[in-house]
Amino acid sequence: MSLIKLEEVSKLYGFGDATTLALDEVNLSIDKGEFIAVMGPSGCGKSTLLNILGLLDRPTNGTYKLQNRVVERLSQTRAAKLRRDTIGFIFQSYNMLPRQTVLENVAMPLVYKGVGVTKRLKMASSILERVGMHNREYFYPSQLSGGQIQCAAIARALVNEPSIIIADEPTGNLDTSGSRLVMELLSEIHMMGNTIIFVTHNPELTRYATRVVYMRDGRIIQDESTSLGEVAKTARRRMYSVSSKTIEDDLAGVSMLMKVMPHNDNQTEESKHKSKIRKSSKNKESFRS
Amino acid sequence: MSRRNWYIHSAVSTIKANRWVSFLTMFGIIVGVASVIEIIGISQGVKNEITNQVYTYSKDVITVESKAVSLSSFGVVQSPAVSTLTKQDVNSLAKLKDVKASVPLYVLSGIADGDKAYHGGIVLGTTPDLPRVINQSLAVGSFFDSSESNPFVAVLGYNASAGLFNQKVPLGFSFVWNNQQFIVDGVLNKFSATPFSNNTLYNDAIFIPMTAADQLSLSSGGSIFQILVKVDRTNDLNTVDREVVAALLSDHSGQRNFEVLLPSQVAQSNTSVLNLLSALSIGIAIIALFVGGVGIMNVMLMSVTERMHEIGIRKAIGATNRQVMSQFLIEAITVSAAGGFIGVIVALLADLVIRSTTSLAPSLSWQIIVIGLLVSMVIGVIFGSIPAYRAAAKEPIDALRNE
Repeated sequence: MSLIKLEEVSKLYGFGDATTLALDEVNLSIDKGEFIAVMGPSGCGKSTLLNILGLLDRPTNGTYKLQNRVVERLSQTRAAKLRRDTIGFIFQSYNMLPRQTVLENVAMPLVYKGVGVTKRLKMASSILERVGMHNREYFYPSQLSGGQIQCAAIARALVNEPSIIIADEPTGNLDTSGSRLVMELLSEIHMMGNTIIFVTHNPELTRYATRVVYMRDGRIIQDESTSLGEVAKTARRRMYSVSSKTIEDDLAGVSMLMKVMPHNDNQTEESKHKSKIRKSSKNKESFRS
Repeated sequence: MSRRNWYIHSAVSTIKANRWVSFLTMFGIIVGVASVIEIIGISQGVKNEITNQVYTYSKDVITVESKAVSLSSFGVVQSPAVSTLTKQDVNSLAKLKDVKASVPLYVLSGIADGDKAYHGGIVLGTTPDLPRVINQSLAVGSFFDSSESNPFVAVLGYNASAGLFNQKVPLGFSFVWNNQQFIVDGVLNKFSATPFSNNTLYNDAIFIPMTAADQLSLSSGGSIFQILVKVDRTNDLNTVDREVVAALLSDHSGQRNFEVLLPSQVAQSNTSVLNLLSALSIGIAIIALFVGGVGIMNVMLMSVTERMHEIGIRKAIGATNRQVMSQFLIEAITVSAAGGFIGVIVALLADLVIRSTTSLAPSLSWQIIVIGLLVSMVIGVIFGSIPAYRAAAKEPIDALRNE
């Protein structure tokens, strides 16, 4: 049984002549424990897909089943509670509240869950220790580096012990070392059984993923299982043909990669995925060791 | 820290972070609450003062008034065409068991002319018992008594004395009223309040004996507008009140064409204008509170717009609509309650200043202060609701897109 299942999901923005089709009948099935990278050029619908998966947005059409429960028409309150208990968010721009300390920021999801102050601060402190930020608890976000803030944001995403982590370009604002730090952290979280879905423009980061989904014009044009520790094949083709030195280069590379992709590729082949995931799990273990 | 305390803590942090904006937001509430408290305090203080003063003259006096008496709105009693009160009423009341004395006040019109013409007052025909009934002493001279051989004598109110004569002690001096010469027997001490009726200024009055009033009433067209009934202090006023009513009903063939007022009712009527002014001032202060509330709503709406991204973050990490609404509502209430608290402090300081620089003694009770604080919080709830609802109703993704 899939943890996440999208069936013919579309998302339209705007009205009349200004209508934009952000997602075009997307079908996607994600099992528990997968580490999925979503790639594609800017404006292809990656973030919209993640927003819908994270219950931040609602599809215009189609069905979204989360843990086998239809959720696309949940009330705002029910969606908020489900989001709080099931999903952790990591954003490209960190989205930490500047007037609160790292500890307060990380503990905030627990406030909404109704956890008492002592318990929630203890839990937040413990999770910060896990991400190596124990000695920065009383710092304000403005006093930390980008990588450190993102680690704190990861801690905040984890504090409610969600089964799914959704990360929208978590390394987008980070340098190489910061990116590595964050991805290693996500990888550790994945190893603990969490399902992680992240958007990236950097083909190199597909090394951490077990599956890469390529999007273009609101559609999933390729869905590729990959081995942990290896750059995804489709992404690698572009890596070697385009000299990638900066994030902009990566962006350009991925955009070109999308152009050479056939439009009518099969979208999702669930049976293939499952066998690949099993395979990738084995690879992951060997990669970790 | 419970979730509510966390909201309050969060609200206080926000207020601290935006001190100036918060202070300006609170300003209307501060002014409104301080005004309401101080106006109520001053009016209550003045009312207490008036009541105390009135009670010093009339605490054991029942006032009987004719319903036909017409009063001008300028503080001067006009002679009514017909008064329902008669001398027989005065005598009947004097005979009652619990009544010590019964004094008529016979109103006459006309201008008195002494050293100078006196237009400002009224002439009241009465009996020698008046000073005893109203607990008032004379500054100089003596009050006329029943043994006077000359009925055309007069006792002047404090202002009337100054209005008629150039001398400070006009004893033995004469003035003319209705072509009749009157000799001044005495001058009453100044009344600190207007007992029995806020329309009768005793300080401005000229008191003459009833016999003189009777003789001149045909030409001046006067009538009894009040009977003051001094009762035995030990008796229950309400019981005497019933006796007075019964006696008058008997005299008036069962017609209730008179009014019987207890001291408390007289004091109440004396403060009615003050009550009106207080109500008006409180109305203005409430408008200030309303404007303060609109200020809170305005700032909170701006705050919601500015912090839309923050709202998006909170929703993304699991805040429900109700939790977001609670947070912003508590923030509005905290701002207005803080304004109310500062308003109370301002009112207390104003109270000190008023007491030290004027003769007024505002009466601030803890009930008024609590009401002031509660009103400020209610304003926070009322005017914070719309911004809080707007914050809560936003879809998380729309809120997150606001940078």
